[in-house]
Amino acid sequence: MKYIYVYPELCTGCRVCALACSLKKNGVCNPKHSAIYVARDEFERWEYPIVCLQCEDPVCVEVCPQNAYTIEDGIVIHDEERCIGCRLCATLCPNAAINTMGTKILKCDLCGGDPECVKFCTTEAIKYLEETAELEQRRHALVNRLRSA
Amino acid sequence: MLKRKTAVVDLTEGTVKDITVSDELRRAYYGGRGLNMHYLLNMLTPGADPLGPKNVLIFGTGFLTGILAPNSGRFNISAKSPESQVVGDSNCGGFFAPELKYAGYERVIITGKAPEPSYIYIEDGTVEIRSADGYWGLDTQEVQKAFKRDLGMVESAVCGVAGEKLVRYACVRNGVKNAAGRSGMGAVMGSKNLKAMVARGTGGIEIADPEGLLRYTEELKDYIMSSKITPIIGSVGTPLLYEVSNAFGAIRTKNSQLNQWSSNLDAAEIDKHVEKMIACADCIVHCRHRNMQGGEGPEYTALGLVGANIGLDNADEVIRMNNLCNDLGLDISSSGTYMAWATELYEKGLITKEDTGGMELEFGNFEQYSELLRMINDREGFGDVLAEGRHAAATLNDPEGDYLITVKGLPQSDPHDVRYMKAFALGIATSSRGADHLRSRPTLEIFFKLPAEVKEKIYGAKVNSDPTSFDSKEIPVHFSDNIFATIDCMGLCKFICHGFNSPHYLSYPHFVGLINRATGWEVTEEELQTVGPRVIDTERIINIREGLVKSWDTLPKKYFDDPMPLGQAKGHHIDREEFAAALDRYYELRGWKPDGMVQEERIEELEGIA
Repeated sequence: MKYIYVYPELCTGCRVCALACSLKKNGVCNPKHSAIYVARDEFERWEYPIVCLQCEDPVCVEVCPQNAYTIEDGIVIHDEERCIGCRLCATLCPNAAINTMGTKILKCDLCGGDPECVKFCTTEAIKYLEETAELEQRRHALVNRLRSA
Repeated sequence: MLKRKTAVVDLTEGTVKDITVSDELRRAYYGGRGLNMHYLLNMLTPGADPLGPKNVLIFGTGFLTGILAPNSGRFNISAKSPESQVVGDSNCGGFFAPELKYAGYERVIITGKAPEPSYIYIEDGTVEIRSADGYWGLDTQEVQKAFKRDLGMVESAVCGVAGEKLVRYACVRNGVKNAAGRSGMGAVMGSKNLKAMVARGTGGIEIADPEGLLRYTEELKDYIMSSKITPIIGSVGTPLLYEVSNAFGAIRTKNSQLNQWSSNLDAAEIDKHVEKMIACADCIVHCRHRNMQGGEGPEYTALGLVGANIGLDNADEVIRMNNLCNDLGLDISSSGTYMAWATELYEKGLITKEDTGGMELEFGNFEQYSELLRMINDREGFGDVLAEGRHAAATLNDPEGDYLITVKGLPQSDPHDVRYMKAFALGIATSSRGADHLRSRPTLEIFFKLPAEVKEKIYGAKVNSDPTSFDSKEIPVHFSDNIFATIDCMGLCKFICHGFNSPHYLSYPHFVGLINRATGWEVTEEELQTVGPRVIDTERIINIREGLVKSWDTLPKKYFDDPMPLGQAKGHHIDREEFAAALDRYYELRGWKPDGMVQEERIEELEGIA
């Protein structure tokens, strides 16, 4: 199984990943219309790409009143047909990885196995890699850290 | 497609009005610098006081700004310059320009003067003039942090205290370091009682062919990343150029009394002070340093102008000078030029302690120059005199500006001493905003070993391969002038465009590829090639209305009269006759009259575009 792994120390804050996502998924350009978001504060000197970590027991699946989320082949999929735009998932996701634009939910589905964002990152701050024990440990550690925060 | 609104804000009346922009006008100038110049041509009263309410201040995003196009996050700020004798215009990266577009506006044109300190807030299709109470008096970082604290995830373009106090070379800051640095646009903001432009937008920019643009931009990204230059710029940034210029003796040192300086400012030394390389919006190169001294930078410009030019050879001190200029909102090129100028005048005895308020100006004194920058910012004591820049020439006993490194009243932007490379000299002499490398510098001249046939292919004509000869140098200047103007209209960064750092990178066919996929238009390369000359002629007409005559297209006196003393460049200077002949050839190539004026039919044509 392949997942997106995030390396914030390599992120330059350019947001090209988010622009590519907004254009691919919504046909428009604005990094706010994207399922990957680069949180950044140049005055506090940090950049952090935020994208769904595809948790194994996701909060979004648990809380969605419409059962709009399912896990298919290890990927958490959002069903737009079922969704009523209540945004509970976005509010409660511990990773703040579910973005919204009005009542529209913007949630990473790994572009069906060919994530657009990764193609545009020139510093490898986001990578799409086959899982390894080491990488999985890293992903799980991040999920657990965010959940306990 | 790509179209956002254009607002005219009258700060005196407190009114905001949207105006329509025809497709004919958009295809004539596209955006950024080009459209800004169109509006200056039509709205600026010739002879207006640049620090008076009649000056017109324009914030204009590039045509491709905010979309998925490589390094496309840029905008231009334009007005009549309070610093130079001519048009003011400055191009800037950062994150403000895309945000303005997402907020629904591509251009905001500001006239009048607000009755009290104000800022302009733009959000999702609305423009408001708000009180700057609580923001006025803050430096450039403090005020941007305050806006984020009070308004959330906004992006802003601000002036510092230097702008409020009308320091003639106050710049506009966007982020920690990104600057619309040149020609005093921060002072124009201050003169209008305007502290900031603040934007926040949720609007998505619609694209005619989303999948086409995705695939084409990916292709361009791979092309740019395959260049040998890209990883170097991305790892050390522009300090790379310091060593290149210094090697043969072309670094402006101590107000151009010398032309070579310490290797302590080489890129490898600067690298020791870098925490991380970061990017502007939509940039795949990431040339900006986050330094360990708490700021961002330095660029090559800072190494030269607040390093070699004021006799500092300690990288840590130069970076601190750079950070101070950034926080205060002072243009580094002008600040370094004027401080070095005053120091030489002091050394030569043309001014004394009586003129400087007791300050014993000496090159290499970090504490003294840091203090002087603060005094300029606050217009305190001798700082109040230097805040006037070249306007203080008579007060400083250099009435003709013989010791000034300026053209058309604007200090030279980059640290390169152009007495050696004659194409660089012709470039800064003819640049529309005064001495500036970002207008027309044919950087490829610096690659001594570039084969003649490669140059011929780029420039479309044979160019003499001796960099010290004026022969045929009007050709690369004309070429660079045109493509740089086009790049400034697109909102792209020159770092990934043809002819600035590399003989490769993006050129007209690539710009056309991006425009057509984004808009659905069918623009041809030939059509796009007419944009640059149109912008340059428009700027020329504005400058002529402000009094420009042929004698303004010249160089600092020192460049003609004083041969370079050091290194490979030793003995080189500018020969007046050779320069005059090159200037005549440049005019001819540009289609201007022998006296440098624009043909009447051309004026009529450009004034008729609506």
